[in-house]
Amino acid sequence: MLDFFTIFSKGGLVLWCFQGVSDSCTGPVNALIRSVLLQERGGNNSFTHEALTLKYKLDNQFELVFVVGFQKILTLTYVDKLIDDVHRQFRDKYRTEIQQQSALSLLNGTFDFQNDFLRLLREAEESSKIRAPTTMKKFEESEKAKKPVRSMIETRGEKPKEKAKNSKKKGAKKEGSDGPLATSKAVPAEKSGLPMGPENGIELSKEELIRRKREEFIQKHGRGMEKSSKSMKSDAPKEKGKKAPRVWELGGCANKEVLDYSTPTTNGTPEAALSEDINLIRGTGPGGQLQDLDCSSSDDEAAAQNATKPRATKGTLGGMFGMLKGLVGSKSLSREDMESVLDKMRDHLIAKNVAADIAVQLCESVANKLEGKVMGTFSTVTSTVKQALQESLVQILQPQRRVDMLRDIMDAQRRQRPYVVTFCGVNGVGKSTNLAKISFWLLENGFSVLIAACDTFRAGAVEQLRTHTRRLSALHPPENHGGRTMVQLFEKGYGKDAAGIAMEAIAFARNQGFDVVLVDTAGRMQDNAPLMTALAKLITVNTPDLVLFVGEALVGNEAVDQLVKFNRALADHSMAQTPRLIDGIVLTKFDTIDDKVGAAISMTYITSKPIVFVGTGQTYCDLRSLNAKAVVAALMKA
Amino acid sequence: MAAAGSRRVADGGGSGGTFQPYLDSLRHELQHRDPTLLSVVVALLAVLLTLVFWKFVRSRRSSQRAVLLVGLCDSGKTLLFVRLLTGLYRNTQTSITDSSAVYRVNNNRGNSLTLIDLPGHESLRLQFLERFKTSARAVVFVVDSAAFQREVKDVAEFLYQVLIDSMGLKNTPAFLIACNKQDIAMAKSAKLIQQQLEKELNTLRVTRSAAPSTLESSSTVPAQLGKKGKEFEFSQLPLKVEFLECSAKGGRGDTGPAGIQDVEKWLAKIA
Repeated sequence: MLDFFTIFSKGGLVLWCFQGVSDSCTGPVNALIRSVLLQERGGNNSFTHEALTLKYKLDNQFELVFVVGFQKILTLTYVDKLIDDVHRQFRDKYRTEIQQQSALSLLNGTFDFQNDFLRLLREAEESSKIRAPTTMKKFEESEKAKKPVRSMIETRGEKPKEKAKNSKKKGAKKEGSDGPLATSKAVPAEKSGLPMGPENGIELSKEELIRRKREEFIQKHGRGMEKSSKSMKSDAPKEKGKKAPRVWELGGCANKEVLDYSTPTTNGTPEAALSEDINLIRGTGPGGQLQDLDCSSSDDEAAAQNATKPRATKGTLGGMFGMLKGLVGSKSLSREDMESVLDKMRDHLIAKNVAADIAVQLCESVANKLEGKVMGTFSTVTSTVKQALQESLVQILQPQRRVDMLRDIMDAQRRQRPYVVTFCGVNGVGKSTNLAKISFWLLENGFSVLIAACDTFRAGAVEQLRTHTRRLSALHPPENHGGRTMVQLFEKGYGKDAAGIAMEAIAFARNQGFDVVLVDTAGRMQDNAPLMTALAKLITVNTPDLVLFVGEALVGNEAVDQLVKFNRALADHSMAQTPRLIDGIVLTKFDTIDDKVGAAISMTYITSKPIVFVGTGQTYCDLRSLNAKAVVAALMKA
Repeated sequence: MAAAGSRRVADGGGSGGTFQPYLDSLRHELQHRDPTLLSVVVALLAVLLTLVFWKFVRSRRSSQRAVLLVGLCDSGKTLLFVRLLTGLYRNTQTSITDSSAVYRVNNNRGNSLTLIDLPGHESLRLQFLERFKTSARAVVFVVDSAAFQREVKDVAEFLYQVLIDSMGLKNTPAFLIACNKQDIAMAKSAKLIQQQLEKELNTLRVTRSAAPSTLESSSTVPAQLGKKGKEFEFSQLPLKVEFLECSAKGGRGDTGPAGIQDVEKWLAKIA
């Protein structure tokens, strides 16, 4: 059933491998490692790759990884248990070899695990087969057969009111008292004499139960309840006859005439307006000025503090003992130890503007990586978790692919075609400003730039770019570069199709020998389907070399939504086999956040694409590249 | 007590000469002083001495005996590591963490080196390099010769980073660029790889220094590789860089030996 089962060390050595099919297992396992473990998505333990499902388990104490692969279409229930059993067995059998620090013991040891594995596999398969599908109960065995007919007669009026009132009691007491009820009524029912269907019968037995409970309740709590129940019972039979409309006592009178607020009009012109109360309309506040918002967040904070205090006191005792144990020697981390620290870290990350579900996933992944790890001496749980979190944050911010625009432009130059960069993003994030900054940087490095104004919607977009072009031209006049215009604007006014303008701009650049084309698009919300389609069409038709998503550092949880929807739109509307997605991120307005730099993490986590530029202001020199260590240091700072 | 001390001094007064009175006064002083203060002074002195001694020993022990195996993902570092240590063939997966082992060099002195195999994945490589670079005596940069043409830019970028980091160290390590996977027919020769890398690093010098500065950019100027104005060559570097061909898998795959004799000889030379 299984395609393969591998056990390998985190350093890369395969210790033992079982292959059910002849295909090699290295490909899928490598894909698993690269997509899940190295990108900190290790929250849940299964991964799908082409036709296979891979489930894995990490042993953090001995630095081993256990991976099992089976066909996606099968649903094998015994796999989790099998992995746990194999893990335990392997660890116990080869404890001496895997415990050593040096890799030599792993290399020299022979891990002859085949027989044990086959035995465990057989046991796991058999245990999953033992639970046969449950056979249907015969009527004699069911509970209904044990109840008398009398109890199943339904009196319609009492049913709805009592049900609503005692719904809470029903759930708790049902299982307990079903038993005694059934046994007390030992008289077997007559099959034919049942007037109602089986459904009513079950409800009526609950009816019995409810009535009994109420009687006990009344006995305990006195007469007051009884009166109200009696009054309700008296009401109910009256209603049995005709179906009068329900009257809600507190609901006002829902009469059709009263609800009709329309004034009688002739041809649309209203009659003389009713003399409305001017004071009522104005309200009681001051007229022209806007009052400040009343900050009521102090109550929330106090409540949160009170909630965390009892948890903290319980934690300190355990924490002290744990620390002592950690000081002494080998203490392995368990989920409970890490939980309080991880909660604090998660709240800290969210306070630093990391998107909420990404913070959750990150903490899950760190917990997965640290579970069972043996701490060194003189290190507390907090410090170990912080260290691991810091490492995983740096890992996320490291670019997965090369980030060197100048090198790629030189390549394109050699091939005699322009290098096309497209800027996309939601409204107001700074696309045009950062486009101007990037063109300044390119001009300083001696490349000629054509700016394509494909924002044909927003008023003043073309004029903005024209102003930028004029200023950049003044900084780099053609005289300084041998008579060649270094920067030029390509625009076709407003209201035209953006994709067409982009195509013409690229053709123009190729003819005139421009090195880079920077395409500015209109800002659009990620939910706006027609605009997303238009953007996807622009990118599919023109196949730019680099698609940059411009996002502002102030964005919070919204970053996740924006990026996911942009990527999905680009993937859906692309005809190609491998659709062009967002290739890089430009993080803007970085100077407006002090150390709440979480947006960088959210964006790189969602797309796994690097942050190419960081915008730190509105002048041409305010363009930086990302320093992963500095950002993580700012994030982890208290 | 003082009288007995002085009598003893008087007895031994013959030998000792002029120093005796000074020693007498010193001993008098010490005896008069509070004995706890004296013990505290002696304890502090002992602690200081042990600290100095320990630091000395630590620095001796962690002195650079490590050889780092670095390179891109899938270039064959882990298999080379295994072959050097045991000569056997093992299946490998992408490494997530480093592996280290002691390797006995086969020269007549029989020194031992610590071989450290670092992961090559993009998100991990710089972190691990940072951690281990100070203890590096030599760096073996493994290159996949068969896929080199496709990956030349990535190889050059990582090599640039490693070179810049190594040049910033106090004792610059010896460099070997091992062109691995020579058993594949399409593998490029070491000479060709050297020429291509020199050309690529030449352009990289310009583009990397022109890249926008990082956020916390202090006034540190990025280090310059080679000489300005002239085409980049590996001989211009202050490090010793050598190029060798090798094949960790070996001609006959998992049954035959590996073609790593050159690497072993180089390791013996630098040990």
